[in-house]
Amino acid sequence: MFRLLEETGFSRVRSAVVPRFRFRKESTQNSAEAYGVKAVMMTALKAVPA
Amino acid sequence: MIDPASVQASLELTLKDEIVRMYQEVANNPTGEFHFFHGRDAAQLFGYAPEWLDRAPASAVASFAGVGNPHERSNLQPGEAVLDLGSGAGLDAIIASWRVGATGRVVGIDLNPAMCLKAQAHATASGATMECQEGRMEEIPLPDASVDVVISNGVINLSFRKRRVVEEMFRVLRPGGRISITDIVSAKQLSQSIVNDPKLWAS
Repeated sequence: MFRLLEETGFSRVRSAVVPRFRFRKESTQNSAEAYGVKAVMMTALKAVPA
Repeated sequence: MIDPASVQASLELTLKDEIVRMYQEVANNPTGEFHFFHGRDAAQLFGYAPEWLDRAPASAVASFAGVGNPHERSNLQPGEAVLDLGSGAGLDAIIASWRVGATGRVVGIDLNPAMCLKAQAHATASGATMECQEGRMEEIPLPDASVDVVISNGVINLSFRKRRVVEEMFRVLRPGGRISITDIVSAKQLSQSIVNDPKLWAS
């Protein structure tokens, strides 16, 4: 996702993990952890042309 | 001979139906059990201010199904035009409307026209102003360079065409505009069985 933002032309791409996110069902959470699934916050800027 | 593009298109249609069904169920049955936390508990977990949750309509809060808090870093200012991608029952759009005020503008886009109506009703009930349009995040029904900020909460991960969604966000933003989104990402490629299962994908 971060790469997509940069490739599309966004700048100042920043991200941080949402620390308290987890799935409600334990089986889903276990599967999510196996795939490294997490929630992240992302900000990015569409620059003003020079 | 099977055309991969046709298979993809068919899967997308099935996924769209499942997404609409699942999030409509959250709105209709907020006490139900889903793969994800939702409602006030989830919003508080992600740092939504209690005063926002008290001020917003209870049914908008109960239907909250986000994965974080895009307002934490959105830095919304009075007068700004905001797009909420996947606006659902409207909680994030309502909060955005309070922050940009009467001189600002908030547009929600959602796959489900029934949710659009619900979101607009919630906004009106809470003294907020938002317009909601039925539409896909892969084809945002807004002109180029028409918004200052795009917010989104747990929605982009539902798309098979994420590059297209990002391109659309870029297109509708004015130069100098920004995004503040929260979403689910995966460090590993999901298995084909997950990709092909609309219920798992929509979760």
